[in-house]
Order: sequence, then C-alpha cells, then structure tokens
Amino acid sequence: MKARKSLAAAAVLAAGALVLTACSSGGSGSGSTASSAAGGGKVTMTFWHNSTTGDGKAYWESTVKDFETANPNVTINIQAIQNEDMDGKLQTALNSGDAPDIFMARGGGKLADVVAAGQAQDLTKSIDAATKSAVGDGAFSAFSVDGKVYGMPVAVLPGGIYYSKDLFTKAGITSTPKTMADLNDAVTKLKAAGIEPIALGAKDAWPAAHWFYFFALRECSKDTMAAAAKSRSFNDPCWTKAGQDLQTFAATNPFNQGFLTTSAQQGAGSSAGLIANHKAAMELMGAWDPGVIASLTPDAKALPDLGWFPFPAVDGGKGDPAAMMGGVDGYSCSAKAPKECAKFLNFAMQKQYQEGYSKAFQTLPASKDAQSAVTDPALLDILKAYNNAPYVSVWLDTLFGQNVGNALNSGVVNMLAGKGDAAGIVKATNDAAAKG
Amino acid sequence: MSDSLGENSPTLTTSPEGPSAVGGGARTAPSPARRPRRGSGPDWRKRLEITILAGPAILVFLTFVIFPVLMAAYYGFYKWKGFGRPTNFVGLHNYVVIFQDPTFHQALMHNGFIVVLSLIIQGPAAVALALLLNQKMRGRSIIRVLIFVPYVISEVIVGTGWSLMLQTVGAVNSVLEKIGLIHHPIDWLSNPKLAIWSLMLVISWKYIGFAVILFLAGLQSIPEELFEAASIDGASYWQTQRRITLPLLGPTIRIWAFLSIIGSMQLFDLVYIIWGQYVSSTAGTSTMATYMVTNGRNAGNYGFGNAVAVVLFVISLIVALIYQRFVLRRDTEGALTEGKK
Repeated sequence: MKARKSLAAAAVLAAGALVLTACSSGGSGSGSTASSAAGGGKVTMTFWHNSTTGDGKAYWESTVKDFETANPNVTINIQAIQNEDMDGKLQTALNSGDAPDIFMARGGGKLADVVAAGQAQDLTKSIDAATKSAVGDGAFSAFSVDGKVYGMPVAVLPGGIYYSKDLFTKAGITSTPKTMADLNDAVTKLKAAGIEPIALGAKDAWPAAHWFYFFALRECSKDTMAAAAKSRSFNDPCWTKAGQDLQTFAATNPFNQGFLTTSAQQGAGSSAGLIANHKAAMELMGAWDPGVIASLTPDAKALPDLGWFPFPAVDGGKGDPAAMMGGVDGYSCSAKAPKECAKFLNFAMQKQYQEGYSKAFQTLPASKDAQSAVTDPALLDILKAYNNAPYVSVWLDTLFGQNVGNALNSGVVNMLAGKGDAAGIVKATNDAAAKG
Repeated sequence: MSDSLGENSPTLTTSPEGPSAVGGGARTAPSPARRPRRGSGPDWRKRLEITILAGPAILVFLTFVIFPVLMAAYYGFYKWKGFGRPTNFVGLHNYVVIFQDPTFHQALMHNGFIVVLSLIIQGPAAVALALLLNQKMRGRSIIRVLIFVPYVISEVIVGTGWSLMLQTVGAVNSVLEKIGLIHHPIDWLSNPKLAIWSLMLVISWKYIGFAVILFLAGLQSIPEELFEAASIDGASYWQTQRRITLPLLGPTIRIWAFLSIIGSMQLFDLVYIIWGQYVSSTAGTSTMATYMVTNGRNAGNYGFGNAVAVVLFVISLIVALIYQRFVLRRDTEGALTEGKK
C-alpha cells in the first residue's frame, strides 16, 4: 500500500517535470536543437526582425514562406519587434537562455559583446561561396570578430547628405557642394531665401554625432581610424581637429531651430519630417532615409525632388574625400540555433530575395548581384559613390561599441549645445571607459 | 471557522458556550479570559492563519522587491555588459566612479532642486486651491475635476503633449508671439537656463491636482464645530484658517510632502519623454534615474547601472527615514507603538 503510494507520487512528479520541460522548450528557441538532433524531424526556429509594418513586414513573411515551402521540415516563427525595443528585448532573451534562433544585428562593438558572451554562432564556414563573393569582404568585416564571421549582412546603409532639389533651386544653388566652402555658401544662400538649411535630430544624439563622424572620416587617415577602432582611444590630433571643424561649422547656425529637442524619425516635427515637408533643405543621414522620409510626406509617397551628395571634402584632411561611412544591417544565429538558421540566411541572400529586400525597404542590398533592383535616383547616386569608395567605415558608435559610442554621441551633443568643446568629446569617451 | 475549531480542538470543549458566543458581538469580551486554557493548539493555528494570510504578500515582496535589490547590489560590484554571468569583479570601483562623476553631481543637484521647488510651488498653491474649492460655490465639482485631470493622464501623454507645445515652433511660443508678449521665439526646452523651469511648470501642472485632492480630504475631516466655535468667539476668516484649518491639516500636508519628496527623488518618465534618451544632461534636466538609464542601459554598462540604482535606492531610503524620524513621527506614533502596549 505504502509502496504503491510513493510510486504514484513519483509518477506525478515525473509527469510534472515533463510538463515543465515541455513548457520551457516550447517557448524557447533552444528547444529546437533537440528536435533537429533527433534526425530528419521537424525543426522550429524563432526569427526576430524590426519591420513591424508595411512592405518590410510583408517581405519577411513571404521570404519565410518560400523557405518553408522549399524545406518542409522547417517552421519559422516570425516576431516583428519595434526597432527601439530590439536591443533590450534581445539582451533579456540572451540572458534568460531563451534566445531567438535568428536575430537582427548591426555588427561592430555591440555584436562583439554578444560574441564575447558566447551567444552568437560562428558562421564562417556556413556561408555559401556564391553569397560570399556577391557581398564582398567590406560588408562582412562589420560582422567579423577575430577573423570569424558572426552575421549575414542583408543591406548596406552608407551615409551622406540628402537634400531637396526644389529648395536648392529656390535658393539659387546650382550644383551640389563639393567642399566645406561650398557647403557654407549653400547654407548662407538658403538662409537668405528664408529656408532652414539643415535639419538635425539631436534629441536622438546619433544624428548629431554623425556630423562629427564624417568630419573625422575626412580629417583622419584610414590607418588612424583603424587603430582607434582597436585601442578605443582618440589621441591622434585629427580627432580634436574634427571636433573643431564641427564647432566652427555649428557656429554659423546651419541647423534648424530647436534642433536639440528635435527627434530624428518621429512625426512631421522630426528632422526627416522637416525634409519630407520642405521645411528644411538638407539632412546628413544613412541610406534608410528615403524610406523614412517617404513615410512622412503629406501623401506618404517618396519625396520626388530628393537628391543626395557625399559629405564634402575638408581642406587639408588626411582622409580620402571619396571614403564613405555607413551601417550594415544583418542577421545572426544564436549559439544554440540549429544549422537550418545559416541555411535560411543563405536562402534569403539569393538574388531575387535581395532584390525584394531592396524594393521593400527602399535601400541598398548587400549582394552586389541585386543592385540592379535599385531605381530611386537618390539611392542610385549613393550606390555609385559606394561602389567607387576606396574604403567604407562603419558608424563610429557601432564600431566602438555601445559604451564608448554612447559617450561619444553625448559629447557631440554637449558641444553643439555650447557646453564643452572638441577636447570635451575626447574626455567624455575616456570617462566612459571607466564605467564599462 | 468556529465549527472547525470546535471539531478539532478538545481544549475548546471545556467551554461549551464558546462557539455560540462568537456569534454575539456583545459577548466576545470574555474570550481573553479563555486564552490561558487554550494550550499550544490554537497558538499554532493562529500562526498558520498569519502565514496563510500574509504569506503570499511576503513572498511577492521578497521576490519582486528585496531580491532585485540584493541582485542589484551584487551586480553593482562587477563590470558587466549584461550578457551571461558577471565575471569581472571590480569591488567598489563603480561607486567611486559615480561619486566622482560631475554628470552625476549635476543630476543629484537637479533632483534636489526639483524636491525643494515642488514643495515651495505646489504646497501653498494646493492649500490655497483646496481652501477655495472647499467653499460652496457654483461649478465647484467641475473645477475640482479639472484640477485633478492632469494627475490622471499618463506621464507619457503629458510629456509628449508638453514637448510638442514647448517646441521653439510650438503652440506656447506661437500664442505668446500673437498676443505680443515676446518677439522672438523662446527656447523652452534646450536652453539650459530655462529647461528646468519648463520642467517645473509641467511637474506642477501635472501633480498639483493630487495635492489638492489630498488637502480637500483633509479639510473634510476637520470638525465643523471648531469653525462654529471660532465664529462665535469672533474670529475673522483668516484667523480661522491660520489657527484652526492649517494646524489640523498638518498631518495631511506632511504626508503629501513625503510623497512629493520621494516622487521628485525618483523622477524619470517626464524627463525621459520630453528630453529623450540623450539630451537631458545637456539641457540641465537630468535626474538620478535618467543618469542610471543613460549610463547603464543605453551604454550597455549593466554593472555600472546597477551600482547607480543602489545609490539612488540608498539616497531615497536615507531621505525617507530622516523624514519619518523627524517630521512624520507624531503622525505615525500611535500606529507604530500600538503593538508594545
């Protein structure tokens, strides 16, 4: 009697444990590894991306569907997560061991932190040779840590100045600025015509910092930039020079009124909104900008007179005037993800899907084979400059990682607000090192 | 309850009238006399009752308040990026950095400024409004509701609304220009000299309704007879307010001040919504909480951020304890010492 009772109790306990494990594996991505190891069984993966609306969302849904049709044993659960929530959610998910199998990544120092914690999968050997040659080393380098590749780039987003052709014509500017003197001249003409010259979303800090990054790109040589990426210190005088350049430029009041509390992408009052509604003439941004501007125009269609020119050359700068800076959007596999993760990423890199990506997101595809899908005139100008660039640097805040990047961004905003100078930016980054 | 007591405990059978006596309120008085005869059984039961009733609350409190505080203290001793387990033990390094950081000093000063000004601005204004709204007059309940509405609206909506209105090209400047008070738009949000006053404006607007409602409730509890007696004695309106209303409103004012101080110490959402993730320290409106988010979460320095959280907790705790000890003491005296009787 007694023995039977304890046996029953053990059975109940075991059943409870089973239910618990079933629950935890059902909700997690890591559970999929077990089922794929069972051999030829069903594989379920979770996939996090940041397109919560419109064409981008539809693109991922149809691409995943095609992949599932081609691989009937694989099921992919898509979760679209608001871009601003992505970092925090991913961090929580990685810490709880409940990581998504496929997640969005932007390379640089942020990805390096994930890699250092052993949470990202080494994809070096999983990437198709065709994909490798179509993308090229440049974009892969953003996802490389110690010579190993931890992510698949899907789009390249080089930066430059977007401008309204109509407003330039109205102000009597005949050609796009090639040097800083030209840019100053354009600013003066626009002001005289009663147009705000440059929209700047300094509330988000990074758009303001981009001005510093580009001055640094023109002032510092390629080797200096590469050395700083490793040492994360800014001892070369070119960094201070870049800060001074920005200070001098900001002293001419080129930015929109109240730029410190202007956000970058939210609503008609944001910097992208000012461009979309012809309230300001120029904006320094990455290649995602035409898409953002299009969503903020009164009729929610692409701005017809949007043009693009590269950041102007700086007198006596050591950087190549044709060098570019930008970001790379891509996807990584979590450490525990099944091998089908890499398979899916290779699948999405085929020409037709990259062309679809380029159209859905109105941006430049990472695969050079798919470049023919780009038709937007502003994007075509960027593409030309990008293909001709001697080298491409990643955004400095991405390159240096969250901590230093964050301090760098705040330092630049402080300087633009009149609190501190170029030396203050350098000091802010050194102070940040103590906190990380 | 009384049935089960009767069934299970033999000690109760010695007083047969016990279970029936429970029903009559007037006859519950003899129960203390029975206590010595009960033995260990009911004592154990009483403990069980306390455990069952208080257990869930204690469990929730330990899990979601005490445990996170301890974890924050633990993480605060590490340099930690938030991925995996913290391994890089740095001792008190994070705390040294916090107390040497001028940005933190500024945030602390802003907090102090907000604490003091909230009391100075909202206190007298709310007392005045409460006295006014305690009078019988037309449209009183509508005015009461209108004053309380801002407190009910979510911080995010208030922050978004005011940040749009206070923009350089926003509604506030537009109105001021149209009625001819100013000729150039004023930079309400990004001018470091003005920004914190703009913040005080929004805070006062938002939270004064709460103070007014508290004071109104306090005014209701003052016995009418006192006012009658005062008027018979020939006291003027202002004498009545000064000698009767304000002293008797004292406990309410002290409790409100306590809530206001704690709220000001931990102010986060309004600043974060209006000034965003980055520019609050530039505009001179950063608080300890925004400092924590900027340098902890946004910078990816989770170990450092946890250390800031601990500092914020300790500072708030010290302020709260001092206030309780020296100001709230006589209000809470009865409640705290009752058990010792």
